[in-house]
Amino acid sequence: MFEKSTSESVRSEQTTPERTAPARTAVSIRHLSKSFDGVEVLRDVDLEVREGDVVTILGSSGSGKSTLLRCINWLERPDSGSIHIGGQRIGVNDAGRPMPVRELARVRARTGMVFQSFNLWPHLNVLHNVTEAPIHVLGKSKAEAETHARELLEKVGMSAKADAYPSTLSGGQKQRVAIARALAMQPEVMLFDEPTSALDPELVGEVLAVIRDLSAEGYTMIVVTHEMAFSRAVSDKVVFLDKGLIIEQADPETFFTNPSTERVRKFLEREES
Amino acid sequence: MNASAWHMLLEGAWTTVWISGISIAMGVTAGLILALIRLARIPVVDQLLVLYISLARATPLVTLALFIFLSAPTFGINLDRNVAGILALTLNTTAFNAEIWRSAFRNFSRDQREAAMAAGMTPWVTFRRIMLPQMMITSLPGLINEMSFLIKGSPAIAVIGIVDLTRVTNRISAVTYDPLPPILVACALYMAAIGCLVWLQRIAERRANRLAV
Amino acid sequence: MSNWEILWSARDQFWSGFFSTMEIFGLSISAAFAIGCGMLYLLEGSRPRLTVPLRVFIDGMRMLPFLILAYLLYYGLPAFDIRLDAWWSGVGALAVYHGCYFAEIFRGARLTFPPGQVEAAKAHGFTKGKMFFRLILPQIVMQTRPLLGNQLIYALKDTAFLVIITVQELTAAANSLSGTYFIPTEAFIVVIGFYWAVSVVMEIIIKQCGRFSAKRGFDHV
Repeated sequence: MFEKSTSESVRSEQTTPERTAPARTAVSIRHLSKSFDGVEVLRDVDLEVREGDVVTILGSSGSGKSTLLRCINWLERPDSGSIHIGGQRIGVNDAGRPMPVRELARVRARTGMVFQSFNLWPHLNVLHNVTEAPIHVLGKSKAEAETHARELLEKVGMSAKADAYPSTLSGGQKQRVAIARALAMQPEVMLFDEPTSALDPELVGEVLAVIRDLSAEGYTMIVVTHEMAFSRAVSDKVVFLDKGLIIEQADPETFFTNPSTERVRKFLEREES
Repeated sequence: MNASAWHMLLEGAWTTVWISGISIAMGVTAGLILALIRLARIPVVDQLLVLYISLARATPLVTLALFIFLSAPTFGINLDRNVAGILALTLNTTAFNAEIWRSAFRNFSRDQREAAMAAGMTPWVTFRRIMLPQMMITSLPGLINEMSFLIKGSPAIAVIGIVDLTRVTNRISAVTYDPLPPILVACALYMAAIGCLVWLQRIAERRANRLAV
Repeated sequence: MSNWEILWSARDQFWSGFFSTMEIFGLSISAAFAIGCGMLYLLEGSRPRLTVPLRVFIDGMRMLPFLILAYLLYYGLPAFDIRLDAWWSGVGALAVYHGCYFAEIFRGARLTFPPGQVEAAKAHGFTKGKMFFRLILPQIVMQTRPLLGNQLIYALKDTAFLVIITVQELTAAANSLSGTYFIPTEAFIVVIGFYWAVSVVMEIIIKQCGRFSAKRGFDHV
């Protein structure tokens, strides 16, 4: 996966002249806008995520943060702007036309997504939830996919439940399986859409612990979340979205101790209380 | 009832079973195909299918069987009566099955489809691997219910001269002059067949409910 | 003469077939409705000596094809020295058969009927019969009308089975016309059109009832 993205990221480097750090760009978002029924949800958003970085996106509900994440793998179609994943543009092909579904699916497979409501497939057991896409999208053999799946389930602490069906699991367990499912595609970027918001408070910790472990292993991750302490602990960069605009982008120390905008200061005060 | 009466009765039962079985298999498949075509919302084709479903739901099976069997020769087609019977049952059950499949499609969880797309599945793989297996489970109770209705409607094919489980009771009483026993045995056989389907339907419902959790 | 002109000249036969079908249908579903309501009332009491056989009977009927019941009445009853002609066998079979379906539909709705309403009625001193006919039955009928509407369409379609026991109704008319003039396609298209029109009209009426019922707040109790 590392080698595959090298040649493509050369192209993206040319489009980002202001970049100084040596790491390659994993996701590059340019002038992204999106509106629903005339309401602007995203306004001219620019965002750069480097390989190995963990970026958390904060903001109050309705700020557009989930929409931004869902645009990255084209679950939402932006109205304008561009998104590159590992140097490859998603959704629009070289000729500037909408991507054919097969090609779009291939680009999507380079990202892994974890949903707020888990969205496990209820007709498949835990192991098969994890192996389904590697077998039928990547074309892996069953044996290879299952070996890899068992490693991943071990990593998220769910190997004992490999044969269980999703309906028998707790929310925290479901989400850990969903994380393993996304990892199984060996994605270049992991996208987390409020992964703990649908969980009972006592189950939040086990899921956050898994995500924290992943960040330590060097995965590139974009996490939409409400968990401030978590964001501060794992992020390389914190992005604050307000009414569809990115109004603050900073490293976590600066963001949480010395934010430059009044809006973020108010937000942090309210979250603390 | 003597041995030959029993023999005739079982033959009638077999006729009902195989003609219903073929019609069910064709009707379930054709219903799925129609549901898929309707999802594509092709103009004109869509309206024609709506008309077909509305007509098929309102047309009595007896009338449909007679219509097919009697009017085919005027178009120069010589239909075997069994084929005409199967055609009538299939045309009828397909309309109901199409509606069952279509509602399974429309109620399919958007979240799960998104999860499949996010994992890089193409629409076809998503349909085949994620949607269809679940739609089969959720539609099964409705499909089995429709199978019961088909068997309950199957005596209609007697009108074009097929000797099914109902019609055979006439044949037997023409010899024995005692119509009640064969009719009662036929009742018992129908109850056994449909009782089985009701039982299967209950199991299918339990499985479908488990999936919905 | 074109085939359609032949049909037009034979329109009286269609009309009489149509009216015969509607007569059978109207009479039998009225009786079926009454039977359904009566069975629901009998199921109200908690006497197992009555409710158990009644439920077995209802479930048994629902496992039979309609035609075999018509056979039972038409060919089977003479064994007990009860002789019904084809017409009355047909109407009787339709009434009993669909009465059981109506009863099952009502019973399903009765299971989810709010018990608080029954308690309130008891507290106000309603007798069992008054409570049933003034309180429970009207709500259950309004609530189940989409299912009742479906059942009406099934009942209409089942009338066509009666051609097999020689009742002269709509399908029999088409059958005899197509035999006489050898114009089966046209004859049956007209007859299917009749059945379709009646079904569509019934669906519209059920929908209109829905509007009335929504206005009266039956759906939001």
